[in-house]
Amino acid sequence: MNLRQKMLAMVALTVMVTVAAVGWTVSLRVRRVFEKIDRERTADFVGQFRRAYQRRADAVALSLDRMAGSEPLMRIAFDLGHGGDPAPYLNRAAALAQEYQLDFLEIVSSDGSIVSSAQWPARFGYKEAAVTGANRMPFLKEEVLPDGSTQIGLFAVHAVRGGEKTVYLVGGTRLDREFLMSLPALAGTQIFLYRSFNAGFDAHGLVGVKGNVGNAAPYQSLINQSRASGQDSNAVVYPSGNLEDSVDVTAIPLKAADGTVMAVLIVANSRRGMVEVQQHIKAIAYGVAGGGILFAIAASLWIAARVSRPIEQLARAAGEVADGRWETRVSVGSHDEVGMLANSFNRMTSQLVEQRERLVQAERVAAWRELARRLAHELNNPLFPLQLTVENLVRSRHLPQEQCDEIFAESAATLMAEIANLKTIVARFSDFSKMPKPQESNLDVREVMQRVLVLFSPTLDQREQPITLKTQIAPDPLMVSADAELLHRALSNLVLNAIDAMPDGGTLTAVAARKGDVVQISISDTGTGLTPEECQRLFTPYYTTKQHGTGLGLAIVQSVVADHHGTITVESIQGSGATFVIELPALPIASEARA
Amino acid sequence: MKLTMFRPFVISSLVVCLALSAVARTRSRYGGALRIETQGDPWLVPDGIARKLVFDGLTRLDDSGVLLPGLAIRWESQNDNHRWQFWLRPGVRFHDGAAMTPAAVAVSLSQSCARQCPWTGLSAVGNSLVFVGDSAMPQLPAELARSMYLVARQHDAAEPSGTGPFRVAKVTNGVVSLAANGDYWQGRPFVDTVQVEGKRSLRDQWLDLSVGRADMVEVPAELLHQAVQDRLMVLASHPTDLLVLSVSSKGALHDDQLRQAIALAVDRSALFNVIFQKEGEPTASLLPADLTGYAFLFPTERDVARAHNYRAGAGTSPLVLTIDHPDASTQLVAERIVLNLREAGLNAQVRPASSQPTADLVLKRIHLEAGDAAAGLDEILEDLGQKIPEETGNPDALYQAERDFLRTYQAIPLLYLPRALAFSERVRDLRLTGDGTPMIAGVSIDGAK
Repeated sequence: MNLRQKMLAMVALTVMVTVAAVGWTVSLRVRRVFEKIDRERTADFVGQFRRAYQRRADAVALSLDRMAGSEPLMRIAFDLGHGGDPAPYLNRAAALAQEYQLDFLEIVSSDGSIVSSAQWPARFGYKEAAVTGANRMPFLKEEVLPDGSTQIGLFAVHAVRGGEKTVYLVGGTRLDREFLMSLPALAGTQIFLYRSFNAGFDAHGLVGVKGNVGNAAPYQSLINQSRASGQDSNAVVYPSGNLEDSVDVTAIPLKAADGTVMAVLIVANSRRGMVEVQQHIKAIAYGVAGGGILFAIAASLWIAARVSRPIEQLARAAGEVADGRWETRVSVGSHDEVGMLANSFNRMTSQLVEQRERLVQAERVAAWRELARRLAHELNNPLFPLQLTVENLVRSRHLPQEQCDEIFAESAATLMAEIANLKTIVARFSDFSKMPKPQESNLDVREVMQRVLVLFSPTLDQREQPITLKTQIAPDPLMVSADAELLHRALSNLVLNAIDAMPDGGTLTAVAARKGDVVQISISDTGTGLTPEECQRLFTPYYTTKQHGTGLGLAIVQSVVADHHGTITVESIQGSGATFVIELPALPIASEARA
Repeated sequence: MKLTMFRPFVISSLVVCLALSAVARTRSRYGGALRIETQGDPWLVPDGIARKLVFDGLTRLDDSGVLLPGLAIRWESQNDNHRWQFWLRPGVRFHDGAAMTPAAVAVSLSQSCARQCPWTGLSAVGNSLVFVGDSAMPQLPAELARSMYLVARQHDAAEPSGTGPFRVAKVTNGVVSLAANGDYWQGRPFVDTVQVEGKRSLRDQWLDLSVGRADMVEVPAELLHQAVQDRLMVLASHPTDLLVLSVSSKGALHDDQLRQAIALAVDRSALFNVIFQKEGEPTASLLPADLTGYAFLFPTERDVARAHNYRAGAGTSPLVLTIDHPDASTQLVAERIVLNLREAGLNAQVRPASSQPTADLVLKRIHLEAGDAAAGLDEILEDLGQKIPEETGNPDALYQAERDFLRTYQAIPLLYLPRALAFSERVRDLRLTGDGTPMIAGVSIDGAK
């Protein structure tokens, strides 16, 4: 990941984390506020419900009280109280119930037998257990109807004295949809009533102001909990898959006189407002985060322009300098630290170039000095015998003719030999000075190697201390683009050096193989080896470890290898010999095939 | 002496005047309009009240239930009651003026019973009708007195024409206006017109009676007591309507013992004492006591414990009870029966007949028209969809037939109920036939000119 990507990621991450933290905090706060409002609203509604419930209970009791005081009922009570026939009153309860707006009404004799029932007229003569609670507080009761259905009602019992016996009025109103409609409900609040007379959950038992609730299953667990515990219960319910439709539900159990839960009132406050606010906050957070990311991109682009690009330029320039292109310069686009860095870089490379030039100059001077020293040394060797020989000739003028002739002949031979030596030395120097450009062609290194080894093999066997030749040449072609003659000369020099390094015999190993996209040729000897200092200076012209020699051999080898875009290295462990390794660019396999 | 004679003379004169005025008040007078209101359709087949005023039968019943000649003046049977011949009353005309002929009567009778006629052949012979049957028809004359065999002449698309004491004047907005038939073979009725308005609720009928807008209204048996308490003038018949529970012998109730359990569970006394307020009589027999005299042989008491024992094998699905022609009282009776059955451990539910084409139990109300026990049994069994026994000519056979049928527990008689009418003070000489039908032809209106 480059600097620009890192900066982009960092800024984007910072923005997102910040926005997420703020959004979460605000959302949490909003939820708490809404929950608090819901609780207050529910508590307020529950209070209103209890008051409405009590009012309805009072209304039932009042209706019965008024009914009991009415003349028709007093006549009935009087008649029944004096042993009158209850049959004529069979249908009275229905008319009275309608008159006093009660949903349920039974007229019950003193022995608890039903005289007349508004809700189930055929139950005359059966016992009504509720009369045992005469004149007590209104209570909830199940009422079975002729069609087999069961309803829950809010009942009251009123005793009417008729002579010696008492007649009872058991009246009540239904707790049903109409009861729910009479309750004051705020917008966003739904009220349901659950009634079931089975132990299990009855999905058809949940009714609202609009009738049966189609999907009652989401409320099941809360209702069951309230029925089981007999206490108010709260939960969040999700009637549909949408979060906006979720509601805060409070379940209030409605109990009979004996404490059994007869019904459960459900108060559901919509969470739509809170959810919408939360979603709004989330949307804003996403928007801000998105904007932040865009800002991060823009910022990173700006930073790239101002900071990372110059740094990248500096990094590339540094890479070029490392590759040897010391003349590399970077542009200075600002006057800040980056600009100062660029300036410093440019100064550094300038200094490097100057130093290299000085170094090259110094090396050139050193090389000239070395050349002059070497030349002086090489030339001095044959010049001294030349001088002595000429002096002998001058002195021999004074000697007898015979001795003079002898000395003349010896001197002439010496002069001729030394002059040949001088000519050789000059020829070598001339060869090195005018190394020809390679005439490249596709050739198989194995063939060049073979020619070199064939040339020197007899020499290796005929020595007093023989040298063993080992070859490890790859069976496949090792095609390179090279000058065969120059390559032959380079390999010959290496073989000669190896032979010269083993005066007491040893092993000369020649290896040629393909290593990736280079052909690697190595010539190894088992001589005394080289020191690290010798390894460093080995390829310097005129440097030699031999007693005699021009010191140009390895320089020529290096020059040939460099002209063929290859490399030459030496590996040596003192006392174990040395290995010269040449690597030349190999031709591609297809080219090898064509070749 | 004159003074001593004067006082007796004055007193005598006063007495004579008062007597004359009393006589004048009680003597029937012609004229006036009689207004009748009913809950049902006055043209309801077979026994709508308008039909009974417009049409006659070959035979008829009097107020004691005695069979009398109607459009037929005499009849005789041959071939062990397999063949009957009825001679028609001469000179009778239909209201449209057409003469009453045997052929016209035969057509009407054939249309009345379609494929369920007790006879297999009917033909006109001279001025008589000959009925022929594969089975013996010992009760044919009594059966022909039933409302379903009233004779009508259907001519094209016009209203059917009868021979009764009244003819149809007009039908407007559900009110049937009948005019007296001056040529009625029994003599012109006293009232000039009869207006019959059907489909009036009981409450409206009683209200109209109380304010003088109606002269004759219905009083159901369960309201007789209240009508008397409300000081209405009421005329009730003998118990003529049988409230019976028809029990299916298929499905859940194929078991005899289960049906017997139902019979034992039903509490007739509660129905009689409370719902019908002691009007009518609880019964466990198909025929009323005053027709047979042996109704007491069929016990009416319930035995819940035995019912509980017999109900073993009852399924868990509730028995379905429907009501034939439901009204408030039969609905109450049905619900009470359901409670009785639950006490015996039998689960039952009342359901509308329209939603339940086949029911386990059907509460029926059968109107008994026959004045004869044997004819009555035939009538009831026919109504219950049961096979009519061959031999019911003597009381023993009749009792056996009834007992054998009741022991199958396919019918559980509950109550016999009277029919009753309330009438206004201006109505005179109102009487009911044996089956509770008002004899309008003999009614006069007080104050008619």
